[in-house]
Amino acid sequence: MDSNKKYWKGLEELNNTPEFVEKNKHEFGEPIPIEDVLSGEGLLGKTPRRDFLKAVGFGVGAVTLAACQKVPVHKSIPYLIKPEEVTPGVANYYSSTYEGHAILVKTREGRPIKVEGNPNDLLAKGGLSAQAQSSVLDLYDVSRVQAPLLNGEGKEWSDLDDYVKLELAKIKDSGKKITIVSSTISSPSTLAVIADFITEYPTAKHVMYDAVSYTGIIQANQNSFGKAVLPHYNFDKADVIVSFGADFLGTWISGEEFTRQYVSNRNNKSLQAKKMSRHIQFETGMSLTGTNADNRYPLKPSEEGVALINLYNAITGTTLPGSKKLADNATNNAITLAAKELVAAKGKALVVAGSNDVATQVLVNAINAALGSYGTTIDLDNNSNQYKGNDADLAEFINEAKSGAVAAVIFLDANPVYDYYNTKEITEALSKVPLKVTFAASLDETAALSTAVAPNHHYLESWGDDSAIAGYHTVLQPTINPVYNTRQAEESLLIWSNNAVKTYYDYVRNNWDKNILALGGLSGQKGWETLLQTGFVKAAAKPAGSYAFSRDLNAVAQTILTQSAALVASGDKAYELHLYQSSAIRDGKHANNPWLQELPDPVSKVTWDNFAAMSLTDLKKLNLQEGDVITIDANGTSIALPVLLQPGQAEGTISVAVGYGRVKGGAVIESGIGKNAFPLHSFRNGTVQTNAVAKISPTGDQIILAQTQTHHSYEGRSVIREASFTEYKKNPYKNSGKDGEHKDYKSLWENYDRPTYNWVMAIDLNACTGCGACVVACNAENNVPVVGRDEVRRRREMHWIRIDRYYSFNEDGKSVTEEHEIDKLKNVNNVSVVHQPMLCQHCDHAPCETVCPVLATVHSSEGLNHMAYNRCVGTRYCANNCPFKVRRFNWFNYWNDSRFENYLAEQHTQLVLNPDVTTRFRGVMEKCSMCIQRIQAGKLQAKIEKRPVKDGDIKVACQQTCSANAIVFGNGNDPDSEVSKALRSERTYYVLEELNVQPGIGYQVKVRNTTESEA
Amino acid sequence: MRSISLIFKQFSRSVLLLACFTVWGISAKAQGDAAKGEATFKSAGCTGCHKIDTRMTGPALGPTLASETDDKWIASWVHDSQALVKAGDKKAVKIFTDFGQSVMPSFPSLSDGDVADIVAYVRADWKKIQDDKAKAAPAGGAVAEDKGPSDLVVYALIGVIVIALIIILVLNRVTATLERLLGSKRLLPEEAVVAEGAAVEADKYALVKRILKNKKLVFFIIFCGTIAMGSWTWVALWNTNVHQGYQPVQPIKFPHDLHAGVMQIQCQYCHSGAFKSKNASIPSLNVCMNCHKVVKTESPEIHKIYDALGYDPATQKYDSLKARPIQWIRIHNLPDFAYFNHSQHVKVGGIKCQQCHGPVETMKEVYQYSPLTMKWCIQCHKRTDINMKGNAYYENMIAVHDLIKKGVKVTPAQLGGIECGKCHY
Repeated sequence: MDSNKKYWKGLEELNNTPEFVEKNKHEFGEPIPIEDVLSGEGLLGKTPRRDFLKAVGFGVGAVTLAACQKVPVHKSIPYLIKPEEVTPGVANYYSSTYEGHAILVKTREGRPIKVEGNPNDLLAKGGLSAQAQSSVLDLYDVSRVQAPLLNGEGKEWSDLDDYVKLELAKIKDSGKKITIVSSTISSPSTLAVIADFITEYPTAKHVMYDAVSYTGIIQANQNSFGKAVLPHYNFDKADVIVSFGADFLGTWISGEEFTRQYVSNRNNKSLQAKKMSRHIQFETGMSLTGTNADNRYPLKPSEEGVALINLYNAITGTTLPGSKKLADNATNNAITLAAKELVAAKGKALVVAGSNDVATQVLVNAINAALGSYGTTIDLDNNSNQYKGNDADLAEFINEAKSGAVAAVIFLDANPVYDYYNTKEITEALSKVPLKVTFAASLDETAALSTAVAPNHHYLESWGDDSAIAGYHTVLQPTINPVYNTRQAEESLLIWSNNAVKTYYDYVRNNWDKNILALGGLSGQKGWETLLQTGFVKAAAKPAGSYAFSRDLNAVAQTILTQSAALVASGDKAYELHLYQSSAIRDGKHANNPWLQELPDPVSKVTWDNFAAMSLTDLKKLNLQEGDVITIDANGTSIALPVLLQPGQAEGTISVAVGYGRVKGGAVIESGIGKNAFPLHSFRNGTVQTNAVAKISPTGDQIILAQTQTHHSYEGRSVIREASFTEYKKNPYKNSGKDGEHKDYKSLWENYDRPTYNWVMAIDLNACTGCGACVVACNAENNVPVVGRDEVRRRREMHWIRIDRYYSFNEDGKSVTEEHEIDKLKNVNNVSVVHQPMLCQHCDHAPCETVCPVLATVHSSEGLNHMAYNRCVGTRYCANNCPFKVRRFNWFNYWNDSRFENYLAEQHTQLVLNPDVTTRFRGVMEKCSMCIQRIQAGKLQAKIEKRPVKDGDIKVACQQTCSANAIVFGNGNDPDSEVSKALRSERTYYVLEELNVQPGIGYQVKVRNTTESEA
Repeated sequence: MRSISLIFKQFSRSVLLLACFTVWGISAKAQGDAAKGEATFKSAGCTGCHKIDTRMTGPALGPTLASETDDKWIASWVHDSQALVKAGDKKAVKIFTDFGQSVMPSFPSLSDGDVADIVAYVRADWKKIQDDKAKAAPAGGAVAEDKGPSDLVVYALIGVIVIALIIILVLNRVTATLERLLGSKRLLPEEAVVAEGAAVEADKYALVKRILKNKKLVFFIIFCGTIAMGSWTWVALWNTNVHQGYQPVQPIKFPHDLHAGVMQIQCQYCHSGAFKSKNASIPSLNVCMNCHKVVKTESPEIHKIYDALGYDPATQKYDSLKARPIQWIRIHNLPDFAYFNHSQHVKVGGIKCQQCHGPVETMKEVYQYSPLTMKWCIQCHKRTDINMKGNAYYENMIAVHDLIKKGVKVTPAQLGGIECGKCHY
């Protein structure tokens, strides 16, 4: 059966523009000019006979000479003294921590090659973000600072120590101020080191700030409940979630953890229990979270405050001053309806807002208190430590520095010259500080202005600890000797503060022995060793108390309204600007990571750039095309960015991602990627705010964005199926094609035997949020090369798994089924989104296999579609014949070609390759192998242990990293395996089932909890 | 032989004991007898820890005893060294700590006279060694390492010279011929003479010409030639990149025939990875040192190990700054795109190392025994029965039962072991 709803990846597909049609005609971006050669000039071209003979002669001679070369002698160099725990060829795993998540680091012969989630991690239960997956690549980055620097010159550590200690001693005597500026530090031991440093230098002060700040929430909690903390949210306990611009599945506070919690109320298990949470999102730009919402409403930044006041009024039945109706009727109704639903779900409701405005967050607190969320969905007693920064503190430091009161500043994991909203001010302030020390790992913007650079270890080289949530303590242990001549920042601080404890390892040990091990019932050497294996201790959680809100809201409402009024963009070419973090690059700290740069943005599918997202209506009004460069003028600075057409963008607004436009700190960054949007922030009401009024003007330039949106198209075939929750409850088979609409197709081929295993996969479209962590995990596991911006523009990205993002229109409960209906739509920005991970389907009747002239791709007896690279001659027939468009061709020898700004062409980064997977050469086709190296390793382990393969023994890389558990992999021959159970679900359907290629991957119908009345 | 030496040992020991008792009664003469000392030294078990010239578990006795003149102290050390150490004797404590606090066994059975004999023997032997060294020193000299141009370069140069010579000769001939022709053109009357000469020459090759005119014969010869060339090309192509018999010279002449053959050391003692990993792994040098700290310490090949480790046999200390890895030459090279796992074959399959690596225990220098071609892999996967006895992995596999029921041999190929993706990924 086919759903007749119209799904589209981009407006070019929807409108079937001539360019789109032309591009789709060809399998590859740039067709080979065979026709030109065979017709017209091609055949008339003359090659003189002598030239021809010369070329042939030279060719034969050169080839003969090259063939005479002796086989290279391979050396085999064993360890001199082999460490006992290392067996060459066998991976070792070490537990460690990344941003508070317990992780496992896979090392081979002493070098980390992959980061995996610790299945016992309390936050994401084994899930891991794209950032964590890609962090291993940063370790081998050649643009890291390789030795300490003093005034730009390479020095010995002892020289640097002498200099810094002397200067600090002088400052101590003079009584001037020392400031340690850092991003949020949640590590108890690091905080203790800093406290010790302050004891030694009493004029020292520690200032924490975050590039993307959560001061608003922290201050609001201080204001409302006297607790200046970020609460711990429990989305799993919420039946109704209303979010105002909080991208909680992506970039907001703890995305991986919230994804796990959120999906637990929407996955297969929950649906079978006829339970599904309800999620309503009001936001300006289309965020990852917005794409997953059951109902999403575009909302201008200037209307957010009013909307929240209206919501508060509707919930409590009071009338705050200044409440008025919103301009858009649908949104207005949605607020009323949301209020009704929230009240109905009292105690199981949650309202979150992404704003960094204290007043807004106080109002959100009031709403949550009225809904009884404290103690259930919000836990203020076991608070989150993930963000603790205070914007006002940094502003105060800058004022002090400008006045000349600060004599020394030490930057730890902070780059304010890049990410502070006022670049001029911070540069001026720093010029007045005589001693500037930074622990930057790379020569970033702040390091460039610093007197001394004491390069910090990469976290995979460090000892340490972390505590993302109160009571949850994870340990950080090194997995490799330092690659460069670096030193851990904490150790430097210990040395500079003349601490009695000389090494940071001893310091961490002491701290844990004294304070932390006991929390988990451990003690002594044995306890420490246990900890290094388990990775964390968890203290018993404090009971989460419920908090009542008792403050007067009139003044708060007034502040909100005044601010909202200031955000109203009036006049021609004035727009409301909204700044956000992109899912991949976030605040720009990891901007030098090519894996992240090439990860398509989950919503826009743009790689290697940021852009100005605008709605279709606004583009039409301005007569702009996608890719036209405009200057955006706000907060006294202006940047020029290409325009992107973003369905779902609130009209009259522009969304711009921060984190781009770094100018220093690595080869990838310095190649020029995007523009820095941090200076567009403004400082209002004590916090840095992400909204402003911006003037725009077209420059007349054009940039082609490297956007993967319409690559690999299905020519309009329907691949997405969805149902509403109401429909699902009535008929679980709804739209899966199994409720009598399913046809049996005659097969041309005989069926393959699968006597031993049948490796299959189930992907739950209702669980997948589209975050893209799986893409990076696959890159790391399978040595997938990075191709760079230009190659992506030529549609040559190599990712084995991609996330297709489909839009569809919703209006008045009807869905748009025909192209021509679009013009009649009242609101083209009311779209809903489905994400679909697409990878090789391992079809049982694979169309690629039948067209390969050299049998390079063949079927296995275990249900997999094998690809033998050494047989492939590069005809690319298979890619042409693949209905799912999942085959990738190596146009170049990407992993070893200096023409590409490619991480693998660099000196050390080849060390990150997985030695169990070959790197593919130019001219060879490749595709998802279902991590066959892991399958083989899992079977071998079972054979060695003389036992059958257990379900769950073998996990593929994409499945392993998925916090939402959207991907299940296993043996389909085993009726009790998780994957068999998942595939037996009523919702299971196969993509392009009607072609009868019999895919090995079953998808589960997307279910949306839209209510009948307002769907 | 062994039993005889054992009997001899016991016999000599009892004789010695008897002698001791006799001597006990007569005198405790300080001056020792070197010959008797040698016998005692070898029989009493001193050699287990001591050598005259080199340090082992205990100090090198030659230099030590040459400098230590207090024979009484030596005797008391031999009788009970620990007593001295405990008493806080400075010399004793120093030796004890210098040698890693390894306790020297007490020899209360040795009389002062025996000890004196041994000391005499050691000093005499040490003197002899010193004298020999003094004599040998001037003759030895430093052996300069040959760092001349490699053979290939030399041959290439010779080749170039030869080719150059040939070219010069040919060019000379050509010039000469051209000059002659030029001369003949000028002197027209000579033309006839030249033509006559040519006619005589033509007669000489008449037979060849006649043979060449026989088309059948020519065809036959060309046909045979084509077949010969063709088959040669065929064989050559099939054997391209097949290096069966490859036997490179290794940086250390490690004799597998001695270790695996004569000494019967298990393969996995050194290649321990074969059971647990995809790599059988070349042993790290600490494995060598398990034995060679004491065995064959004088061999120059063993000294290569010491040098690589930065190990000084005299002091038994390691200097990691001098350490440098040994670059073995890899003999068995599989292409990068072929995945091979030793543990699958050795541990699970129970295959003997020799099946692929040949009779390594008889090889003085190891060579590549098997062709390591894909055909060779697949042949074995098709022919070999799976070793499934006692392995629940296979025993519980329904597919295996089906095959057995059908009476089909259960080989790796039957379970998908010859599919592309099983080795190529």
